[in-house]
Amino acid sequence: MDIGTGLALVGAGIAIGVAGLGTGVAQGQVGAAAVGATAEDPKMFVRGMIFMVLPETIVILGFVIAFFLFGKA
Amino acid sequence: MLRPEEMTRTVIVGSMDGLDPTVECLYELGILHLIDFTNPGEDFKLGQPLPSASDASQKLLKLRSMIRALELEGHKPEAKLPTDEIESKLQQALVTLDLNTAAKVETKQKIVALIRERESEIRALEPFQTLEIPVEEFEGYESISVFSGTTKVDPTESAQERLKGYELFVDRLKGTFAVILFVSNDEKAEATKVLSDAGFQEIKVPKRTGHPATIISKDRTEISEFEKDLARIEDDIEAIRKKFADFIVASEENLSIEVLKAETPLRFAASANSFVVDGWIPAAKFGELQAALESVCGGRSFVEVIQPEEDETPPTKLKNPKPVGPFELFISMVSSPKYDEIDPTLMLFITFPLFFGFMIGDLGFGAGLTAGGLLIVWKVKGSPDLRRLGMIIFAGGLVASIFGLFVFAEAFGIPFHPPVETPDEPSWESVGYIPIHPAIDKMHDVNELLALSMLAGWAHLSVGLFFGFANAYHHSKKHAFAKVGWLLILLGLFEETMAIAGDATATSGFINSTLFSIFPANAIEVAGISLAIPAIVLILIGIAILPITEGPFALTEVTGIFTNLISYARLAALAVGKGGMALAFNTMLFPLIFESGNIAVAILGLIVLVVAQLFFVFFLGALSTGIQAIRLNYVEFFLKFFEGGGTEFSPLRYQRKYSMVSE
Repeated sequence: MDIGTGLALVGAGIAIGVAGLGTGVAQGQVGAAAVGATAEDPKMFVRGMIFMVLPETIVILGFVIAFFLFGKA
Repeated sequence: MLRPEEMTRTVIVGSMDGLDPTVECLYELGILHLIDFTNPGEDFKLGQPLPSASDASQKLLKLRSMIRALELEGHKPEAKLPTDEIESKLQQALVTLDLNTAAKVETKQKIVALIRERESEIRALEPFQTLEIPVEEFEGYESISVFSGTTKVDPTESAQERLKGYELFVDRLKGTFAVILFVSNDEKAEATKVLSDAGFQEIKVPKRTGHPATIISKDRTEISEFEKDLARIEDDIEAIRKKFADFIVASEENLSIEVLKAETPLRFAASANSFVVDGWIPAAKFGELQAALESVCGGRSFVEVIQPEEDETPPTKLKNPKPVGPFELFISMVSSPKYDEIDPTLMLFITFPLFFGFMIGDLGFGAGLTAGGLLIVWKVKGSPDLRRLGMIIFAGGLVASIFGLFVFAEAFGIPFHPPVETPDEPSWESVGYIPIHPAIDKMHDVNELLALSMLAGWAHLSVGLFFGFANAYHHSKKHAFAKVGWLLILLGLFEETMAIAGDATATSGFINSTLFSIFPANAIEVAGISLAIPAIVLILIGIAILPITEGPFALTEVTGIFTNLISYARLAALAVGKGGMALAFNTMLFPLIFESGNIAVAILGLIVLVVAQLFFVFFLGALSTGIQAIRLNYVEFFLKFFEGGGTEFSPLRYQRKYSMVSE
């Protein structure tokens, strides 16, 4: 395995790892607020869930990039 | 199917002597969504409750207090009682119950209170029972203060050092010390400090006379006497409960319905001799209502169709075929669609099981979910929502099994045949040969999964935008036209993704040679990425439409539709992730089970494997997959067209669980 391939694989790892962290941080805060809102008014459940899952797109983007890097390696 | 049930605005007018049968008739039919009469004027005032209301609500009040006293909340009678039996026996039963129950319940409460009092006395005196000091000597001095209680450490030494005129009694108990301290009033402050240093907790002794031990034994005898009385009374109450429980619960239900009906005219408009009922009914049921009123009221009330005002919106009653019905659960969790909006239940019926099944894609886990769903539907009787969820899980599991069998060819994370890339991987071939080969291998054809996800995303979002077009068309042609712009941008983005994929996947090859073969295949190279000219043109036309129709700010959302499309990559991601997880457990634990040669290790390995697969892959997998599948609908799909906020159709009706109308 040459260095280029290795770097690409490390890059793929970073892409999905850091994107996952980003999603985690964002989702943690949104999730806490959403649980609070739902506890006060159960009708907020779906709206809370929609806000809650919005940051997930970040990790999906990370996944796609990681996947392309993986393909290049 | 895509539209809610059509509603007609109706007015029922009648003379006062027809009020009672009309109300009865409306509740029996259960099809009228009543509009409350809210603005009383000169001619029409709010209606009066039916004459039976006050008597019925008084009886209801009595029954409910009886239910509380006899602790019958949650009691479920096994058989339904006929209403004429309830009505004929009610008066008599109420008198009997009143005489027996009230007194017995009161006595029971008194005895329970007495027992508690004795018990708290025993608790207070118990620490001092070996000290042999009569309780009356604990108080009543002029120049002496008395402290009684417990301490954490023995205060004898510090009392000796710091106090002069005192007398201290200490008894070692389990972990604490019982303390009685007699001290002269001028040393009271110091004594308090000494005791609090020792961790003092005061115990107030009851006002009795005699030695603590004697009082305690007397109390104990009394308690056992009281308990005998209590048992006798409880037997009596239990007998009453046995005899009347079913009757009380059934008549409570019957009376609640009576009161509900009797108070309904409060929502009507009424003049001195007539009443007016205003409401919506499903258009198809108008004839039924007309015929029913005619036969029941015999010409004392009439029904008319009227033209609704501009600002009046009918209630929404979703109308879906039976198999689609359970998916209305997902709509009810968001909000009812408006009357003139498209009802997306049918799309949920198609896409939810498809997404769910694609992500699970395993014959073993799919079959497990199918069975689980059936089990819920079969066993759960009480909660209709849970039953609907069971049906949804059943449908998802079924599609997952089909994907697992024909597309991914695997069960419990183990492929039917070892993949070409890894011929040593464990497979079902060691058990038996299954003549189905995978169309897509989860672990090695990730490109194919991604291309399929993009196709699903494009199709799903396009349907969403079509719905948006249809919803907006009646209000504003301009807003509807904007959806065309979005559709063009989406098509352009999809073409670009398919152009990048080229012939690398069967899906993109197929789409390029069919759908996009109508476009010229010109492309330019920008920064190493090949951009398809037709895709760029489509996106640019779409973008040009946006500022005219939705205003310049819509342009900021163009990247949003790109992330929407990419968001569907989660379908592939979860399918691979779940497959990978199952594969990891299998690879780690199979050697332990089959190659260790030690039967104990093999059994242990098997248990760990089953638990891990069951919890991580099956249970958590199904949960996260379900959330993702519904999320794609709620976030990506619904936001393209769904507004919601409609009024749910709730007709006048009641439900009898424990009583039935006699013939």
